[in-house]
This record gives sequence, structure tokens and C-alpha cells, in this order.
Amino acid sequence: MFKVNKLIISASIAASAALFMTACNSEASASGASHSGATTSAAAYANGKAVIDGGVTYPVVNGTTSDYAVDTQAESETFDYGRTATANEIAAWDTDVTHIKLPPEGSGSVEEGEEIYEEKCVMCHGDFGSGGGGYPSLSKGNGYELQKTLTNQRFDPDADGPSRFFGSYWPQASTMWWYIHDGMPHPDSKTLSVDETYALTAYMLNINEIEVDGQEVDDDYVLDQEKFAKIVMPNVDGFEPEIRGKDGIENVRAYFQVPANFGGQKVKPADRCMKDCLEPTAKATYISGTGISDFLPPMSTVRDLPQETEAAVVGQKEYEASCAVCHGSSGMGAPVLGNKAEWDKVAAKGAEKVLANAINGLNGMPPRGGTDFSDAKMKDVVNYMLNFKK
Amino acid sequence: MSNKEIKNSQTEVEASTVETELSDRRAFFKKAALSVGALAGTSLLANEHAASGEDDPFIMHHVKWGQKWGDPVTKNRYGVPSKYEHNVTRRNTKLLASGNFRASIAVTPIHESMGIITPNGLFFSRSHGGVAHVDPNEYRLMIHGLVEKPLVLTLDQLKKYPSVTRTHFIECPANGGQEWRGPQFNSLQFAKGFMSCAEWTGVYLKDILKDLGVKPEAKWILAEGSDNSEMGRTIPMDKVMDDAMIVWGQNGEALRPEQGYPVRILLPGWEGNLCVKWLKRIKLSNEPFFAKEETSKYTALKPSGKAIQHFYANEVNSTVTSPSPEIPLKDVKVGDLVEIEGLAWSGMGTITGVDISFDGGNNYVKANLKGLVLPKCWTRWSYTYKYEGKKIILASRAMDDAGYIQPTIDQETLITGIEAVYHRNGIETWEVAPDGTVTHMQMRSTLKRDDTGKVVIDKEAK
Repeated sequence: MFKVNKLIISASIAASAALFMTACNSEASASGASHSGATTSAAAYANGKAVIDGGVTYPVVNGTTSDYAVDTQAESETFDYGRTATANEIAAWDTDVTHIKLPPEGSGSVEEGEEIYEEKCVMCHGDFGSGGGGYPSLSKGNGYELQKTLTNQRFDPDADGPSRFFGSYWPQASTMWWYIHDGMPHPDSKTLSVDETYALTAYMLNINEIEVDGQEVDDDYVLDQEKFAKIVMPNVDGFEPEIRGKDGIENVRAYFQVPANFGGQKVKPADRCMKDCLEPTAKATYISGTGISDFLPPMSTVRDLPQETEAAVVGQKEYEASCAVCHGSSGMGAPVLGNKAEWDKVAAKGAEKVLANAINGLNGMPPRGGTDFSDAKMKDVVNYMLNFKK
Repeated sequence: MSNKEIKNSQTEVEASTVETELSDRRAFFKKAALSVGALAGTSLLANEHAASGEDDPFIMHHVKWGQKWGDPVTKNRYGVPSKYEHNVTRRNTKLLASGNFRASIAVTPIHESMGIITPNGLFFSRSHGGVAHVDPNEYRLMIHGLVEKPLVLTLDQLKKYPSVTRTHFIECPANGGQEWRGPQFNSLQFAKGFMSCAEWTGVYLKDILKDLGVKPEAKWILAEGSDNSEMGRTIPMDKVMDDAMIVWGQNGEALRPEQGYPVRILLPGWEGNLCVKWLKRIKLSNEPFFAKEETSKYTALKPSGKAIQHFYANEVNSTVTSPSPEIPLKDVKVGDLVEIEGLAWSGMGTITGVDISFDGGNNYVKANLKGLVLPKCWTRWSYTYKYEGKKIILASRAMDDAGYIQPTIDQETLITGIEAVYHRNGIETWEVAPDGTVTHMQMRSTLKRDDTGKVVIDKEAK
């Protein structure tokens, strides 16, 4: 009985598939396009709605989808594996914060945020969120002013590009709160309390000069759940299509039905350009200078035997896993591995003192560099860094 | 013979052939024979046949692996490639080194790629907080939100669902994204290698949801990873109910850690970033989530100053893979037949055809698809070209069954501008010099804004 139903369903899908088949599909075989297999594609789902991404779908017809056979028996069954999640389990993992789901109650001030930032964030994100060493900048100034740069296009190579930072670009502050709480600090995430997360978010608003409910987020500002709900980011309407609200999905669907919205080109295969297709103004453009070629490992297609690698040095593994984050490149304020002048200065303090500093923390460096290394391991890695030669 | 000895003897052979004209076989064999004569004294016994300078010493002499025991079968219980293939690896660059190579990418050597499957060890690796190493015994997947029955599955329970196996590419939407304003990489691996293709095994997410009582108001899901960055993205229910898969298998074995071991979500054809790895949580909702990677990144800024927020499918695309800047044409003379080979792919459907141009994309002829032609999958194509000994500019242009064709760089940038970062699929070009050297370049016009702010071609530009 079920099988009969299934067949009927399949047939109706096939019918709708045929209905929504794009014109170019039928043209494809007529024009002698290279491939014209038995693949059945449809520009709409079985419910008649256009495919959400502007592409096609492959309904199961006669037990196949495109060139794949389908186990229709398995498809027709319902499997009830696993168990129901408990309320506590859901609460433990349901940590997202969105435009409709506020962070938990709590509060934190800009001042507290700056303190935490100086302790746990500055080594990667730089002073006042200025970035460095390949880590994202968190601010380049006033979010409202920088938002105006989003129309910048570097047609002139010397022109300024658009500024895409938290204050100027991100549509929702909820994203920042959520990410700080679940994903930061990078090497030790999920260690910041709710209050600390409010404080850091307040600091982010402060350095981006965002106003909340008409009020400047100055050094004394205290952010809490009620105020958080009132944050409107400068670029809240800077995105298309509108994905919020009950029409969100349908807005997306409609958007991708128009190739000009996203730079797509639709053409019937028979009508595609085969001669004089380039704009007459198009000219050969080459890589300027040497381009980017600092590939690791260096590019090679030679078939030879690999160079024998030297045995790892004591402390190297730990350094690479936990210390290179800050000591691997300049801009973090930390002595850079292999920079003799910087390390000579460190070594002048004496080995005991250097180790003690590493264990207790110094300037931007947290105790033990934020690791749980033993004293012995700390000694290994400090020695590795002190003695490293390029 | 130790590695070192082999290397030494090999160096001699190479040194002796450096200045050799490749096309001059006679000279080559003479010189090679000389150096192998020296080798014979150390380890290779000449066989008993008479040899003249015209004969290939690698035929005329016993090869070293032909006379000694090979490895026992007990060695390398998990096999590894030949040592001679050590240069076929993922590569990275400091430009893309964020987070000390934790929030970073290592890309696939597609110039060495064969067929449509990327070996698991070469599949491009992108993470937002480093590659997590998940204990499969402690692994849990939770599905909750707008469902009657919120679910928890262990890995074993997940694998009980009837499995489905499909071959799909995964592409980072920033593939080619460094070259919106002009070519930067004289390399196929870096210009187009932010993608790979594999055969995936898992279960359709819709088949798990069947038993959970999905509420009608559910429009979106959040897919969230368990790594330190909790990488998460919003996915529309339409995709979930179409072909979204929860996968644990990759080319016949468990996912590699770099691909989300033990479980990732696979959205065929869509941005690699949406295919969340180390998957821990799926939440059904009536509103999108504004996760970090769909706001701060993975949004395509247009000249209007507005950005496309949800940009799902990687559009129709193609590239010439042979020749490439890495592997130029070698040992060819006028009149020789040369196979120009490439890849085509579309996240919106199935490749229906590829055209090839020898003048940078001004005029085209039809190329040939070959092998399996599957939806949202790499498709191989080729064209047999009679080498003319003059400069050519190779360009390929693919079409898909959704009706899309690759735009020229001008067509694309006139709409999206040059600051979009993501989803660049304009026609790409290799210039092949008469000596076979390949250089990455682009055919494009200079753009400007007109008085109304519209992006137009700058006709006065030199």
C-alpha cells in the first residue's frame, strides 16, 4: 500500500519538476551542450516554491536522484534513535544570543571591560582594538563615521577601502556578546563570566563610539540586559535582503531569483556568446610586482626525496602550540622569537627572573601565558625561546 | 641504499641533466648514461646487454628497487604516499595566517589533482580556532528548538540511521577572493585551491527530523560546532528539507579532524563555511541567528554599500588545471597534441558544458566533459589542442543546468564591485608563453563611478 503512495508522490514530483524545468534545460540538449544525461532537475521544490539559492533541486524520480539510486524503503520509514534531551542539557548548550534572544541578566562597565581587555585580549587585538599580527581589528574609530566608508571601492588602487569593523559593519551587537562569551579568548574560550562579557561588550561599544538609546557609551557606562536590548548598531540596515521577521525566508528566495542582485549571468546555452565576448576595453592585467608568493612550504612540483627533518628541540612543541600566538610575530608587544636584540634584553634579567615573569605574567602576558603548563614545562619553553636562533 | 645515498646519486643525475635540452633525446641519454656509469660502480650492476649512448640507462641497467627486498606488509599499517610525492601537500601563506594559523586556511594542490576526488590528506583545511580533536566517545549531537521532541544522539546512534553516500565539492566562498582587484597569486593552488571534492557518507538531516515533530513556524536552523570558536551558521529550512546531510564518512573512512571529525553538516554546493565542522548542536528557529561568521565575514559588500547577508551557493565556476603556473607545458614542439584539462563546478546544479578560449575569453570553442557528471560536484573537462608555438591566453567558461554561465570579470564586477571578498566566479585566465611558461593574469576593464554613482567602465583609462 505504502509503495503505491510513494509512486504517486514520486510521479507528482516529477510532474512539478517538469513544470518548473528552466527553459535552458530543454535548450541544453537542442544546442548540443556537452552533457545531456538523464538527470532530472527542477527549479522548484515539490511544494512549488522556487529553490532558495536560485539553483535547482533533484527530486527522487523512479528511485533515482540525478545519477544516484535511492533506497526508497529507508526513505519511507521513520527512525526513532537516541533519546529526548533534558531541560538542563538544552539550557547548558542553548547559549546563542540574537536580536530576539537577549543575553542572561548581568552587568559590566566600560572600565571593567578595559581592564579585562588589557589582561586577556590586547596581546592579539592590539591597543584599543587596533589589531595586529593578523588578528582582527575591533575598531578603527567612530562607527557612525566609518559606516559611511562602506560605499568605498578601490577602483583607484590608492583609494581607501571600506571599513568593515564591529562599529561600522556588524548589524547586531548580540553577535559580539555571543561570540565573546562562547569563543573568546581564543586559546581559552568559554572562561568569561556573564558580567565580564557585558563589560567587554561595553568596552567594544566604547572604542567604536556607539551611542545606546541616545547616550554616549563613555568610560563610566555600565551595560546591562535592559540597555543591551536598546542597542541599535549603525549598520543594522546595511544588508540585503531583509532576513529578519516573518518574510525573511521569502525575501531570500525572491532575492536569488534575480541574477542581477548577486552578479549571476543567466543565458540559454544556444544564445551564449562564442565570438567577440570581451568588452573592447578589457585588457591584459598582470600581477603587480611579485604578487603573493610566500607559500609554506615553498611551491615545488619536483619528485625527489624529502629533506630529513631535524629532531624537535625541547620546548618547541609547547612554544608552537601556546606561545607562538603572541611571540611569533611583531605587533603584539611581546619579544618575537628569533629577534636577538629583544631577547638579549630579556636574558639580561637573568634566567630565574625570566622564568618567574613567565610563570607570574608580565605586562600583556597572562600567568603561564594562559596555559596550564607545569613549572618544568615553563622552563623548557622559556629556554627554547631564549636560545632560539634563526 | 640509504635515503642519503639515493639522494646523492639522484643529484648527480639531475646535475648532469640541468643544461640538457629536453627535446634532444640523444644528448639527454648520453649525459645521463655518463652519470649512471658512475653510479654503477657503487650499487647498480649493469645488466649483460650491450649498451650504446642512445639507450636509456634506466632501461639498460637494473633499477635499485628491482634487486632488493621491498618493505614487509607489516610496515605502514595505515598507508602513506610515496616519499617522492612529498611536494604534493596543502600549503598556506602568511596573508591568510589569522590567529597564528588557527583562524586560517591551508589550500589544496589542485594543480596535482586527478579525477574528481581529493584525497583526505589534501582536502583544504579551514578553521576558526584551530583543528579540534573530538573524542568520539564523548561526542553528542543535540537537536532542539522548534521541535516537539528535542533529541540527543551519540555517535553510534547517529550512525544507525540508513546511510546515504554522495560526491560533492566543498568550496570556501573566498576561493579567488584575493583577486577581485587584480591577479595576486601566480599559482593555481592559491588562485583556485580553496576547494576540494570528496565522496561523503552520512544521513539526510530531514530523515532525522521526521521523528521529531518539526513545528510549522520553524524557518531556519543554527548549526553550531563544538570547537573553541563554536563556529555556527544559520541555514534555511528549505535546504534542510532538500539535501542537507549530517556526515561522518569521507572517501570511505571517517572524516579527518580537519574536516570536522567525527561529524559535520554538509550542504551540497553551498559555502564551505556553512558546512559546520565538529557539529554539536542544531537548533530550529523562526528567526536567523546573526552568528559571527555571517555578519563580520562571509557577507558580500556591493558598491551600494549594502552587503548580501546570506549568500549560499557557490556559483558556476571553472579553471584550467593543466597547464598551470605550477606545471607549465614541457617538452612540446609545434604540431604536438596537448591535452588542456580543467575542472568545472556549480553549487547551483550540474555542469552542462564548458567552453575554452585561446585568446583570453574573447572567442570560444566547446570543450568536452569527461567522467562522472554529478550535481554540485567537480566535473572534469578537456580539450585537445594542437600546439602552435605561439602565445595563447587560456580561459574556461562553464554552464550549469540552473541556467547560469560564468560571467566575465567585467560583467561580475560591474554588479558586485571589487570589495565583495566572497563569491567571485568571473572567468580566469592563464597566459601561456611560447616556451610553455604559464602566468596568471586577468582580462578586465578599469571601472569608475559615473555622476550618479553607478559603476561603469572607465573608457578613458589607459
